[in-house]
Amino acid sequence: MKKVIVIAIAFSLMLVGSALAAGQARTNAGCGLGTLIWKDGANDSVLYQAFQCTTNETGNWVLGIQTFGITTGTSECQQPKNFASNERANEFMVANMDNLARDIAQGRGETLDAFAELTGVPADKRPEFNAQLQSGFARIFTSSDVQMASVMDNIAAVSTK
Amino acid sequence: MAAFLLPGSSSMAASAADGYLGKLQQLAREKGLARERTWEVLLHYKPDGAGVKSLVDDPRFFNAADGRKNPESELLATLASFFTATVRESEEHPQCRFIARYTWLNERLGFDPERLPKAACPKFEKAVYEVNPKSIVLVFPNTLLNSPSSMFGHTLLRINTTLENDLLSHAVSYAAMTGENPGALYPIKGLFGLYEGRYSNLPYYEKVKEYNDIEQRDIWEYHLNLEPEEALRTFLHVWEMKDVYSDYYFFDENCSFELLFLIEAGRPSLRLADEFYGMWRFWVIPVDTVRAAQKLGIVDRVSYRPSRYTKMLRIASGMDEGRKDTALEVVDGKLPSENVLKSVLPITEKRRVLDLAAELTQYRFSKGKLEQDEYQKRFLDILAARSTLGTPSEDPYPIATPTSPDQGHLSARTRTGGGYRSDSWFGEFEWRAAYHEITDLDEGYVPGAQINFMDLSFRYYFDDDVLRLHRLHLINILSLAPWNSIFRPISWKVTVGVEEVLLADSKDHPVFRLNAGGGLSTAIGRTGIAYLLADADLQASTRLDNDYALGLGGTAGLMVNLLKDWKVNLWAQGLFYSAGDEHQAIAAALQQTLRLTTNNSISLDAKRERSFGNYKTDVVMRWNWYY
Repeated sequence: MKKVIVIAIAFSLMLVGSALAAGQARTNAGCGLGTLIWKDGANDSVLYQAFQCTTNETGNWVLGIQTFGITTGTSECQQPKNFASNERANEFMVANMDNLARDIAQGRGETLDAFAELTGVPADKRPEFNAQLQSGFARIFTSSDVQMASVMDNIAAVSTK
Repeated sequence: MAAFLLPGSSSMAASAADGYLGKLQQLAREKGLARERTWEVLLHYKPDGAGVKSLVDDPRFFNAADGRKNPESELLATLASFFTATVRESEEHPQCRFIARYTWLNERLGFDPERLPKAACPKFEKAVYEVNPKSIVLVFPNTLLNSPSSMFGHTLLRINTTLENDLLSHAVSYAAMTGENPGALYPIKGLFGLYEGRYSNLPYYEKVKEYNDIEQRDIWEYHLNLEPEEALRTFLHVWEMKDVYSDYYFFDENCSFELLFLIEAGRPSLRLADEFYGMWRFWVIPVDTVRAAQKLGIVDRVSYRPSRYTKMLRIASGMDEGRKDTALEVVDGKLPSENVLKSVLPITEKRRVLDLAAELTQYRFSKGKLEQDEYQKRFLDILAARSTLGTPSEDPYPIATPTSPDQGHLSARTRTGGGYRSDSWFGEFEWRAAYHEITDLDEGYVPGAQINFMDLSFRYYFDDDVLRLHRLHLINILSLAPWNSIFRPISWKVTVGVEEVLLADSKDHPVFRLNAGGGLSTAIGRTGIAYLLADADLQASTRLDNDYALGLGGTAGLMVNLLKDWKVNLWAQGLFYSAGDEHQAIAAALQQTLRLTTNNSISLDAKRERSFGNYKTDVVMRWNWYY
């Protein structure tokens, strides 16, 4: 009985799902703005959404292959010169530069809080830190293709006086 | 004895031979450890016939050849594996690879460190240092906008660390590895377990970006009351699961089901997975696993993380059209951000315009509607202007937490009732496997998102004294995504199944039906949605002269909550069949639902239809029970 039901369902899904778009999993890697990793195409199809627990990623992030807390690392990026930075903060910057830039411009936000925590800014110094970064925005994000290393160094320059 | 248990294991240490292994195995037998709940949880044993069988399919998960079905021999072999003297450099020592089992067996048997080889576990040590588990959160990304099938959704587990910020915690999820191009066989392979399911781990911010920023799904976080040492146990089990696979079944052995084992591993006395396992459990719906956790009282609190889409609508709410247009012009690159700064708007409104523009620019980029270089320039331009406007002391766009998905009606539904259809009284029984339709009350659901999966209805007509199949919809999706000043989504629908249709002989006959359509909808008031959809309809039946009829037409409707517990859906549909049996079918209906409790409601539907020139009126009253 279970098999019959499953086959019936499978058949109807094939029918509905013939519209399954052969989408591209698009990875937009880099060290600057707009490097969010995103997928489109197939993920928008009805079927794909019904079975969200699937992944078309080929497994470079399967547990055990990579280190906890680190997705791809930042080895492809130029490294910051300043001493306070650490690999997790660099990684976080690369992965979240867009939302971080937005938070810095707005002077607040969860992404900015996380960054402050990773770079060891104590909680009571955060309002000041946030304000310094906000007013220094143009000196941090100096050009539209600015990269992680420069942003890190610029933040260090803007926030320590 | 030990050599017998692990034949061919040449690396068995001399220490095993000195009898300590035998002693431990003896003690384990005496204590009956193989029958204990923790062992059952750690090995994923489930009842199978007279015995048990592990749900894990990967042979690497077991130390004994018959370990999948024999808890005791697996336990004894696991003990033996701990005595392995050396492993190849690329491999982990069994004491590390089976760290959860090792930890538990050590607690129960009190290993003598002098007599057991002590393996170094550098990889594990590093991971546990980095993760430093403190607590566990069950994460449920809500329905994707304009994609009701995503209601079947997804859950993942978040492991909180000593770091304070939630974005810096770790997300563990379980997924079918489909490869780059799933292809047309995807559903078949998924249903029959032909994909491998594996666990994966990412920083939580990656998941938040994926769901909140890219897919525009609100995220619900259910904070479990597991203590730090229980969270650590969960993590130990994650470590054991990291290299093994299980056959993945979309419906039952899916991500949400698998995660329950991780929670159980943290606190083995919990029985979360039981209710989802058995011959007659066909599927595990993610939100139901959340409810199971609620029911066991392990949810401390619930938090809500709105999507970028929700945030944008919040920022835009209370903006007049002119200011929204200004924001859109900035996003389109028609208006420099500088001009917003120079405008006469009050500072809070300047912030609002630029904040909306920034989010929208990110949104467009994530949808692939902006090239990267164009995006970078515009985005930074907007932010640079925004950075000159300071910061309000409070969050300027606070978002009220809506009803959480677990508080909505349950996924399965039966309806019992009766009514009159010209010219006979009838009794009716309906069963729907899942999930939500627009006549159901929306709390906990995304309004306008309907998916009926396996919707079955029988009617007993008193005049004919006959029970008839009234409807069997395999799938019935309706997605009403309202237009607003910022977003212009296409609403759509699709239905596949068999239903009774009024044919030329003035009688109802079962007809295979495929109906699909697309159109527009718009919000009316706070809860209402008006919709207009173009329809294409295909009917097939030997009762039709040409065996089929193909038609085009349209549907117009309005759904609205007149009161909090009273919902109305008024609709009219006209279909004009020009291929096969040429005819017209017109119908209009008023559907009302009155909620009694979350999971009980009464509905009253009235419909008037004309098909092949025959008229019928259909009035039916039902009691709906969600379970």
